[in-house]
Amino acid sequence: MQAETFHYDNRIVKNFAFATILWGAVGMLVGLLAAVQMYLPAANFNLPITTFGRVRPLHTNAVIFAFVGNGIFMGVYYSLQRLCKAPMFSKTLSAIHFWGWQLIIVAAAVTLLAGYTTGKEYAELEWPIDIAITLVWVVFGVNMFGTILQRREKHLYVAIWFFIATWITVAMLHIVNSFEMPVSLFKSYSWYAGVQDALVQWWYGHNAVAFFLTTPYLGIMYYFLPKAANRPVYSYRLSIIHFWALIFIYIWAGPHHLLYTALPDWAQSLGVVFSVMLIAPSWGGMLNGLFTLRGAWDRVREDPVLKFMVVAITCYGMATFEGPLLSLKSVNAIAHFSDWIIAHVHVGALGWNGFLTFSILYWLIPKIYRTPLYSLKLAGAHFWIGTIGIVLYAVPMYWAGFTQAMMWKQFTEEGTLAFQFLETVTHILPLYILRSIGGLLYLIGMFIMIYNLAKTVKAGSLLAEEEAQAPPMASQDTVYGKEYWHKWIERKPVQMLVASFVLVAIGGLLELIPTFLIKSNVPTIASVKPYTPLELQGRDLYISNGCYVCHSQMIRPFRDEVARYGEYSKAGEFVYDHPFQWGSKRTGPDLARIGNKYPDSWHYNHMLEPGSMSPGSVMPAYPWMLDATIDTASTPAKIRTMQKLGVPYPAGYDQVANADLMKQAEQIKGRLAADKIKTPANREIIAMIAYLQRMGTDIKALPSTAAAQ
Amino acid sequence: MKSVCTKWKKPVVLFLMGLLLLVQTPLWAAGPPVPSEMKNPTAQLLVGIIVALLLVIVLLAYVVTGAAELYLERYKETKQSSGKIGVWLLLLTSSMMSVPAMAQDQSQAVVPELSSTSLNTLIAVIILELCVIFYLLINLRSLLSKDKEVVKSTKPSFSFAAWWDQINRFRPVQEEANIDLGHDYDGIRELDNRLPPWWLYGFYACIVFAGVYLWRYHVSHNGALSAEEYQIAVTKAAEAKEAYLAKAANKVDETTVVYQSSSDYLAGGQKIFVTACAPCHLADGGGSVGPNLTDDYFLHGNDIKDIFKTIKYGYPEKGMKSWQDDYTPAQIAQLSSYVKSLHGTKPSKPKEPQGTLIESKEPAAADSSKVQSTL
Repeated sequence: MQAETFHYDNRIVKNFAFATILWGAVGMLVGLLAAVQMYLPAANFNLPITTFGRVRPLHTNAVIFAFVGNGIFMGVYYSLQRLCKAPMFSKTLSAIHFWGWQLIIVAAAVTLLAGYTTGKEYAELEWPIDIAITLVWVVFGVNMFGTILQRREKHLYVAIWFFIATWITVAMLHIVNSFEMPVSLFKSYSWYAGVQDALVQWWYGHNAVAFFLTTPYLGIMYYFLPKAANRPVYSYRLSIIHFWALIFIYIWAGPHHLLYTALPDWAQSLGVVFSVMLIAPSWGGMLNGLFTLRGAWDRVREDPVLKFMVVAITCYGMATFEGPLLSLKSVNAIAHFSDWIIAHVHVGALGWNGFLTFSILYWLIPKIYRTPLYSLKLAGAHFWIGTIGIVLYAVPMYWAGFTQAMMWKQFTEEGTLAFQFLETVTHILPLYILRSIGGLLYLIGMFIMIYNLAKTVKAGSLLAEEEAQAPPMASQDTVYGKEYWHKWIERKPVQMLVASFVLVAIGGLLELIPTFLIKSNVPTIASVKPYTPLELQGRDLYISNGCYVCHSQMIRPFRDEVARYGEYSKAGEFVYDHPFQWGSKRTGPDLARIGNKYPDSWHYNHMLEPGSMSPGSVMPAYPWMLDATIDTASTPAKIRTMQKLGVPYPAGYDQVANADLMKQAEQIKGRLAADKIKTPANREIIAMIAYLQRMGTDIKALPSTAAAQ
Repeated sequence: MKSVCTKWKKPVVLFLMGLLLLVQTPLWAAGPPVPSEMKNPTAQLLVGIIVALLLVIVLLAYVVTGAAELYLERYKETKQSSGKIGVWLLLLTSSMMSVPAMAQDQSQAVVPELSSTSLNTLIAVIILELCVIFYLLINLRSLLSKDKEVVKSTKPSFSFAAWWDQINRFRPVQEEANIDLGHDYDGIRELDNRLPPWWLYGFYACIVFAGVYLWRYHVSHNGALSAEEYQIAVTKAAEAKEAYLAKAANKVDETTVVYQSSSDYLAGGQKIFVTACAPCHLADGGGSVGPNLTDDYFLHGNDIKDIFKTIKYGYPEKGMKSWQDDYTPAQIAQLSSYVKSLHGTKPSKPKEPQGTLIESKEPAAADSSKVQSTL
């Protein structure tokens, strides 16, 4: 058959490669700032946009969606063309995809710093950006599928299976979790409330790790590792089994982020067992990667590309083994809300995603620029500095997490808590300092790479259109080995897409639907009432300032937590929480029952200067809250939106809500005045105090009034 | 040799799984014969497993012994027997005999009482038995291996590389061409290697774990779910606290507390005051968010018993939290005395009076010698 000539588009690959480098550096720099803020409150600079609550979401979004996101597209656009023996379907779509994604990143950075956030971790972006993400993702999908359908290679290679599953699952997760009711252009409330919102969020959050940080990178590994090592993939059989098992099982594991919370027990147990079953499918990828290097280990010692890959895959193996262990309830009881989890995710992020991205850049840039890498020595230096950085990051965080969790749980023999919360924080501050040094080293490595690659780019010239030849796809298929079902589905991309979707939909549906439909999953509590307008405004400030990144609102049923924070949280308490604010990390204490624990004036002084009320506190100060005025113009729209979501405010309440708001604000103003604090009633701090004083008090109303009567 | 091994593995696994499911029901029906720990279904289940595993061990041991005799005969035919094999056999049989015996002892000792100790012991016994079974299976495998491997087994050296190749069922890199699938994806070729056996069986084990876990927590309800676990922990802690306080000297409450003014004692109270109270009452007690503690006006009484009560239970509606989970009764007593000692001192920025005026019968507490005399 006559071979056809065509051209691979390397320019788009280069664009994504440069974007991943740029955003990687930015995201990590922001991460370093956040790490320093953990022990140096002055590094928050007393400005809203530089405060930890806004910096950390920027860091996580930047490294996940900007650094890794562009890394995915770089890998996909390079490998897909070659595996399909076809150029990308449409250069226009490629360009829309690239520029659309970069615009989304810039919009995300601006809005997150400005305080526009949905308050759901890793899904913080507001609804217009959510829609933009959906559109760009569809463009990516069309471009990818167009390329696959125009392929000259009958069989889809394992990397493409992973790309297909990634695309469809991320689309599903993003759309379902982003259901929100707009209030205004940059404000919305989650469609779901409380327990249900938590389940949807962590079904999404966990699978963002699975289908954004894991499966696309496995696909990329399956292309670049055998190419770089020049070795055949170890086991085709293992590829098949671990691929299907991985995507089917992964989707169920979300509830392991909510162990011991108010989530129904059956859902928690499903999260546990599916996480445990996930060990083998995850390790299938690691084994196939490492075993592919059989016979090439002598080269691993010299080639920085392979070195980075080996550490990346090893970190992947460690993180995916640790994950299931953390999902066991007894381990989770210690690790959850502590720095242990931070260590765990950074082994995955710095090791697996970071190092694999670096290895691909070191392999790919010289290739498309037709010149050898500027300096192997610098690449080697990057490898060692980066590795030491990871160790210096992870070990102190494991140590800090375990130590602090143990201190939280410790009682004296007299039955009292052995440590005040703040003591457990100040105790681990030295480890936070070490961690930031680890992060700094990793970032230095990144800059060494940038220098090295810049020099390489300068020395070479981009091969924008790479010529290739292949015969058109044969109508008759050559059967390699035995013919069976998988050989069939490998030739059918659409069926592959549908099969992947069915598999990932099963776990999601079976967990989400019962939680929504069966009433006993969220027992109602009669005394739980909707937030007053002032409290609602305060709650929005709480979300906008990212309080949830350091404070949980979920008291787990443990003796120490009940002693420290009060009665453990019940599912029925959160029915009006759009969105839920359970949090995932306790850098500060839990706030689920902070209401009425301290006087209003305590909160006023504490927000102005936390150290004045809690000496040694690392919480940032929020002085601007004392001067900024409450956005009362938004109150009616907020009330109407809540009504649409089913929150039972009386009909027409939106018209009188602001009157109620001012009445409650005047009361707080009066209480503050009694403690010699003079402030106008319309300040943000008043709304904040109203919300804080409300939290967790509804449930207290019942037994105490009953006892009084 | 492989076929023998897999033939054995399957029935063992199936038998174990079947047992897990079956043992449950008959034991439910059996009812409580004696009020002992054996009433606990978990204990019953575990003992059932222990017994079943023992049977498996006996059976396996029988097979291994037979295989060993066979092996010995074969070995004698090829070479003259050396002392080594005898020692090896001795080791094998001794481990075979001693472990089941030990297991039996332990499982009987466990029966009378029910606690986490006994549960752990039972589980340990099961793990031990599984190790023995595993060990026996490995021996069986090597004993039943073909002649070629008999010769090999006389090689004494252990090589990590060989062991690694074996547990992963690696094929030599040189023979790769035989398992190449013949497909080329942009220069990438795929091999048709077998799944690493430990990976595959590990996967099966995880699935079995999942089944047992769900069964235990949601079908047989043997495991304590979160809320239940909490109740158990609280009850236990309350008992432990009771027991400790009963013999501890610091059993003091709002009815028995007395003012003590020794400087050591008050210094202890002051230490707590600085960290816990100063944020609201200021370090000198002058008051800011909380009331002034030095003047003659009191919201909740000025008696040491009242002060103790205020600190212990708090007045949450007024912003004073309860401190009984944070500090021991003895510490609260110390703190109460310190707070009382602040009365009459001169703070730098006193807050205006709150509460009712209570004329102190006592002289200024700052004068500690006089206080002592009034006590």
